[in-house]
Amino acid sequence: MPDAGAPEPITRLIQEFSKLPGIGPKSAQRLSYHVLGAPEEDARALAKALQDVKETVVLCSICFNITVNNPCLLCGDEERDRSLVCVVEQPLDVLVVERTGGFRGLYHVLHGALNPIEGVGPEKLRIQELLGRAEAGGLKEVIMATNPSLEGEATSMYLQRLLQPLGVRVTRLARGLPSGADIEYLDDLTLSRALEGRQEL
Amino acid sequence: MVRPRVYRAEGIILRRRNLGEADSIFTVFSGTEGKFEAIAKGVRKARSRMRGHLEPLTRSRVLVAHGRSLDVFTQAETVDSYRRLREDLEASAEAIYCLELVDRFTEEREPLHELYALLVTALSLLEEGGGAAVTRHFELRLLALLGYEPYTEGCVICEGHLEEEATLLSPGAGGLVCRQCHTEAGRGRMISVDVIKLLRFAKRATAPEFMAVRTSLEVAQEMRVAIAELLRYYLDRDPNARRFVEGVRSLDQRGLD
Repeated sequence: MPDAGAPEPITRLIQEFSKLPGIGPKSAQRLSYHVLGAPEEDARALAKALQDVKETVVLCSICFNITVNNPCLLCGDEERDRSLVCVVEQPLDVLVVERTGGFRGLYHVLHGALNPIEGVGPEKLRIQELLGRAEAGGLKEVIMATNPSLEGEATSMYLQRLLQPLGVRVTRLARGLPSGADIEYLDDLTLSRALEGRQEL
Repeated sequence: MVRPRVYRAEGIILRRRNLGEADSIFTVFSGTEGKFEAIAKGVRKARSRMRGHLEPLTRSRVLVAHGRSLDVFTQAETVDSYRRLREDLEASAEAIYCLELVDRFTEEREPLHELYALLVTALSLLEEGGGAAVTRHFELRLLALLGYEPYTEGCVICEGHLEEEATLLSPGAGGLVCRQCHTEAGRGRMISVDVIKLLRFAKRATAPEFMAVRTSLEVAQEMRVAIAELLRYYLDRDPNARRFVEGVRSLDQRGLD
């Protein structure tokens, strides 16, 4: 709890910081006093950045990735293959796939995965929007890049059932060994799928 | 006596909750320890040795260390990853629903060997394509093991004989109620003779025996709704995963059109 001796703006800042994930009351206090002691332009830059992120960042109306342009730069890029869509759970996943440099299609961000026990159903994800893209035509292949977890796999299978009748080829990322892993500690599921997906040396 | 620092358990992973950057808390249901939670440190990192062995809907052997607030997984090894189950949407949905029922109906650290054996059997049968009948049997046996089995041999209130006709099933009264006792029974639903017979049969039938009974779609539907009402009464809510099971079923029906 904020100390009784601190002026109101400081206690308010402490309260706001402690709403952030992973920030407890002590960290919030430290951050607040740090901001107080920091140069004024740093504090203003922080305030501006916070404001901008809420005011200018929107979801792309096509792929639902976070963007400041709508449609986003990826969806607007004429060089990219528009018949290929990679489906991911989170905006961060787009960055990771992009970093590989090996994908030249478009994306679709679901904003989560089906989680039946937690009550996350299809209506809470951007599934209708994906079907809309498929129904609009021009899509040849949809690549499922959801997490290889119970929820991610269920999401992929569910989407596959919805997309297949629309005449779209549905694929999913291969499952295999992560770099630097120990075979000894691999789970059976990963290893058996890696065996099946083995490749000529 | 000094408490051992670690304990072993074999169980089904019911659910995962992420914590911080790289940790997760898993809920495990085991025969020996009952349901318990423990934290797996660094399990979300690519190089974690336990990752994959603690995925929900996996049967695993774990070694757990007592912690100050939360216990900590130190080792995990898969016994069964139910691969064919995971690769089938309908079966996954039924299995996820069964996991939620176990989670909602059990208290932590209450050993329930029979319920564990029942869950393991149900998952195997679902993997073999047993379908919704496996879930119905599982629901009824779960209720029975936890002391909620509906009384179907006579009227639960006056213990009188029941005619062979549609009869009131009252979750509040705890079973079937004859006409004379309706006013004392509270809310309930009229169920058909076929469903009554199925409820009775489920009490002594193994899951494969129960699955072998051929029922019409109408009776299966009525059975599902009747059991759903019992579950809702005891849980005071519907399990979340029910909507998913129904959503997946409606995908099928769409395919038939």
